[in-house]
Amino acid sequence: MKKIKYILSLFVSASLLFGLNRCSKTVENPVFEPYAETNLDATGGNWKTYVLANGSDIAVPAPEDATSAAYLAELADLKSKMSAATAGQQDLARLWGANGVLRWHEIARELAAQYNVPPDYKDDGTYPAPDPLNPTVYPRFPFANPPYASRAFALLAVAQYDALVTAWHAKFQYSRLAPYKNDASIQPLIPVNDLPSYPSEDAVVAAASREVLKFLFPGEKPLLDEKSTEHKNSRLWAGANVQSDLDAGDSLGRMVALRVIAYAKTDKMGAANNQVAYPNLKADATARGITVQWTSRDIPARPPMLPFFGEVKTWNLDRPTLISVRPAAPPAIGTPDFETALNELRDMVKNRTREQFRITTYWADGVGTYTPPGHWDRRAAELIYEKQFNELRSARAMALVNTALQDAGVACWDTKYFYLLPRPTEVDPDVTTATGIPNFPAYTSGHSTFSAAGAEVLSYLFPDHATDLLAMAKEASNSRIYGCIHYRFDCEIGLEHGKKIGDFAIQRGQNDGSQ
Amino acid sequence: MRTIYILFSLLALTPQSSFAQTPTDGLMMPKGVICVLGQYSQNSWDEYWEGTNKRSNSNIGTVTTQNVMVMGNYGITDAINVMLGLPYISTKSDVSYLTGQSGLQDIGLWLKYQPLEVKSGFGSLKLQVTGGLSAPVRKYVGDFLPFSIGLHTPAASLRGILNYTTRFGLYATAQAGHTWRGNTKLDRDSYLYNGQLYYSDEAPTPNVVDATGRIGFINTRLQAEVTIDYFTCTDGDDIRYNDMPFPANKMTATTAGVFAKYFIWRGLALQGSYGKVLSGRNVGQSTQFSGGFTWFFNVCKPKEADKK
Repeated sequence: MKKIKYILSLFVSASLLFGLNRCSKTVENPVFEPYAETNLDATGGNWKTYVLANGSDIAVPAPEDATSAAYLAELADLKSKMSAATAGQQDLARLWGANGVLRWHEIARELAAQYNVPPDYKDDGTYPAPDPLNPTVYPRFPFANPPYASRAFALLAVAQYDALVTAWHAKFQYSRLAPYKNDASIQPLIPVNDLPSYPSEDAVVAAASREVLKFLFPGEKPLLDEKSTEHKNSRLWAGANVQSDLDAGDSLGRMVALRVIAYAKTDKMGAANNQVAYPNLKADATARGITVQWTSRDIPARPPMLPFFGEVKTWNLDRPTLISVRPAAPPAIGTPDFETALNELRDMVKNRTREQFRITTYWADGVGTYTPPGHWDRRAAELIYEKQFNELRSARAMALVNTALQDAGVACWDTKYFYLLPRPTEVDPDVTTATGIPNFPAYTSGHSTFSAAGAEVLSYLFPDHATDLLAMAKEASNSRIYGCIHYRFDCEIGLEHGKKIGDFAIQRGQNDGSQ
Repeated sequence: MRTIYILFSLLALTPQSSFAQTPTDGLMMPKGVICVLGQYSQNSWDEYWEGTNKRSNSNIGTVTTQNVMVMGNYGITDAINVMLGLPYISTKSDVSYLTGQSGLQDIGLWLKYQPLEVKSGFGSLKLQVTGGLSAPVRKYVGDFLPFSIGLHTPAASLRGILNYTTRFGLYATAQAGHTWRGNTKLDRDSYLYNGQLYYSDEAPTPNVVDATGRIGFINTRLQAEVTIDYFTCTDGDDIRYNDMPFPANKMTATTAGVFAKYFIWRGLALQGSYGKVLSGRNVGQSTQFSGGFTWFFNVCKPKEADKK
């Protein structure tokens, strides 16, 4: 009995240890640490802008002199705010001090994930459409599907970039020293650099990001105001900017955002979900000989996702060029090439390995995620952080990648709704899938096109990562075959197409004055 | 066994009851007796709770989970039993194009200890304590709800059981337990939880508290009982409107059921159960039934087993 009691107590204590060990369930997010930027890109004010004519398109008023009474009062105010900062505020100073450009992309990815849920069907079998005028009423506006998200990240990145080019122009025009250079008693909480502090690059980024994201996620205005205020105040708590640096930056960022929003209002996104015109699109395809056309796999049938997104304005290539690189027609249903591709999926359903399932899920980036463009936006941010780019160069990289991703989305959607190829499961219901079937035609694969474009541009920006980036794109592309929602030719041709689209962004990058 | 059921059923959006000489009932194997259980169970639902909102979904249809369970229970002494069980689980839907999942799930090991038995002329009162461990036997997909066969986490449980059986065979059992679960390792490295985006491949799978009340009758040939069962995750978020379920959802269910067992020959008994989820949160409103056998052998005779 003694022995048994001993065994029992051993067992119970093992259970307890095991249990307690696992009690800590908190999952911590990785945090970017502030770093000292080494290359300040002093000529960055001359880099080529996207929406603005150039870096002096918007004038920034001259600051008060560093010896003026007004500036000295600002320094005193800064010191009192620094000494009054709580521990929590000091943490925020370091959080925002890491790289404001990337932090706002993180916020955008989170919003995209939160808003990436397709509306539920109504009792009568129809689907309600999100209403931008009533963004908080179900179904909330927007439905941040992959095309919407790609455009959101691109507009955010472009606004940040154009605003920072303008800010750089003014910074080196006025060359106001940072407060800690004007007053040695100020000990900043974050690493210092020689960048002129007026206008504040952080306030510029905060205001530009806030305004563009309010336009894209109009139901999130209070949150965006709160984050923007927090970002700007973080510069005071950090001892990195005086109030007039921030005010000038906010004003500039807001003006640039208004220009970017004006661009966005005329980029044809407003007509991308024109379901009334969809029968005409189908009729056009029929006239071209495409008689077997994609239908929704959702029950009840859901209207196609953004059938006219393929007509939205692109960033790095014009419409005739976009049409000229559109892939040729896929193998027709029933032909040997088509059957070979379908048979591969029939085998996959039976023989999918655990590793193939893992890859399917890893790259799925479906409902409730930041979408495939978000996946590449995140990868870009990680690489920028690794290379410790300054804010301007960070914004340039994010703009190159995200405009390429949106262009890839537009080019892919143009292809999808030109050929209207049914999904494998529609042709053969026995092809069950390891991930959700997206509600738009198969050919070509969006994941493949997005990923090739993203990897191509990132390989240009981070050549030492080219091998793994291109391997990631290939894996993302394959994931759609493993998941059985795409034919192999959807993926392979999508990769080629995406690479071409990415190259247009690279051409821009090679000629934007940043070399 | 019950723990296993709770775990698998959570991920399949389906709570399920099971009745036998299990980690949660008030019965013990006498020293030297082995009881083997073989059981098939099935549950299905076409309505589920998205958070606290009950709905159907024409894209999910009716989800059916089938479970074949083999379990062994051995009496080390009259007061200490050891149990080992492993289920094979298969899921499918009648309309969804998503591939149903199947395979061996989690192996479970339990020790049941009876520190107290008070007998009187009218009946006997028993107190038991069960500790258990379980772990996946293979790398099945945990994050594919409602079609995953399990959440793919290790788990440890502790529970207490109080049973009173009158000499006329009427009995009442109450049990309550706590299950600690390890975090789920996901195939992806970002997910939304509580509205926040996490950059991690580890999801915080919540722990579980459960309790059961049983009233029944038992004699040398027959056992019959009615049960009410409750479980809840101690943490977790809700399924968002029209989104898919996730291993870190807060799942809760109250299930009512009946169970009967009849000895047909010596140590061999047939048993069956039926149950229905009455209310829940982030789970399917499943209807479930099971059928199976138990076989007692070695030094034991069925009468002796049942007397305990």
